[in-house]
Amino acid sequence: MSPPPRRHQTPLTLVASSASGSAARGGQRDWSSLMASAQDGDRQAYRTLLQDVTPYLRALASRCFRDPRDTEDAVQDVLLTVHAVRNTYDPARPFGPWLVAIANRRIIDRLRRQTRTRLREVEFSPEHETFLPEAANFQVEEAPPDEAALHAAITALPRDQREAINLLKLKEMSLKEAALASGRSVSALKVATHRAIKSLRKRLRQSDETP
Amino acid sequence: MTRTDELIDSLVERAAPVQRLRPPLVRTALWLGFAGLLIALIAAGHGMRADVVQQLRQPAFAITVGAALATGILSALAAFTVSIPGRSRWWLALPLPPLVVWMSTIGYGCFADWISLGPEGFRFGEELRCAALLVLTSVPLATALAAMLRYAAMLRSGAVALTGGLAIAAITAAVLPLFHDHDATAMILVWNLGTAALITGAAGLFGRRIFGWMAARLLAPGVHG
Repeated sequence: MSPPPRRHQTPLTLVASSASGSAARGGQRDWSSLMASAQDGDRQAYRTLLQDVTPYLRALASRCFRDPRDTEDAVQDVLLTVHAVRNTYDPARPFGPWLVAIANRRIIDRLRRQTRTRLREVEFSPEHETFLPEAANFQVEEAPPDEAALHAAITALPRDQREAINLLKLKEMSLKEAALASGRSVSALKVATHRAIKSLRKRLRQSDETP
Repeated sequence: MTRTDELIDSLVERAAPVQRLRPPLVRTALWLGFAGLLIALIAAGHGMRADVVQQLRQPAFAITVGAALATGILSALAAFTVSIPGRSRWWLALPLPPLVVWMSTIGYGCFADWISLGPEGFRFGEELRCAALLVLTSVPLATALAAMLRYAAMLRSGAVALTGGLAIAAITAAVLPLFHDHDATAMILVWNLGTAALITGAAGLFGRRIFGWMAARLLAPGVHG
């Protein structure tokens, strides 16, 4: 299994001090001053900051995890920690090292936890299961087709279309056999089947949309 | 993806204004002020040893106490600094020079006296009272430090616990000889090293666990603004 391709990284904004770097630099919003505003209770600044740092954190985490779900969990761990210790940030100091220190700590914690779990647990895959999916209580990936709705839709078709579907699709006859059985021409059966499938599709889609 | 967005939404909703931490130097001074107050209270209640002024004039005694005190102060500063994310790990080396001086003065003094006094150096006088004093000093100091460093819970908890433990141990060890007269100098070694090893070891062992518990409380939704 090859590691996932590296995602685009947002370059870090390293700001020397809030006094000299409160303005945006090079099109990048200044994380340091955003965090300073967030500490004072500015929710909009806080939202902007969290949304800005998330892709960067994701890029950091994706270097360490193969599974995107683990990456996302690590990102969420970091965001929670940033929230919990946001009072430790000093706006007079650069934001980058503060964030990276938190992120690295959380990512390392998660990696350690994963290693411990792998040492004593084996992931259980469907191949290990000898029962049928229903008996083993596995979730079937696709919802089973709604047979009742299909039968109702077929019943509602005009008579010649219903007959064509019945012979060709349900009884699985060839066109010639169906023509002999119904006494209609092959081309008439083809047209009827085509129309029937079209109207069935339309009707079933409607019933899906309005459950 | 969506879950992260939802998390951001919920964090923003809970984003009350927060009080910024004061600089590490100020917080160290606050903690040391508390320690000074505690020691003054104990001195008032317990009384210092009679010959404390004379003892402090002796270079060996003064250097030992001074080095222990310096170790304590610098360890506390290191613990407060390193507890903040993004600060350099090198701060942890700050208390090392006075620590080396402290350890070598005790070591040397004891070794010299051991040769002159022999096994007589070990005498158990009012050691129980000394132990009580040790607990009386170190427990409030440790409680205050743990409360002040609770934000380190999620970062470098091991290093912070160890440095904080050293700070408490060194200050306690610096204060004890001012109250109790260990005639048997080997006991000084036992008390100094024993205190340092005990408190630092306990901090190393339980610090992570205590910090882990604190981290869980900090992260619990609703507890923190």
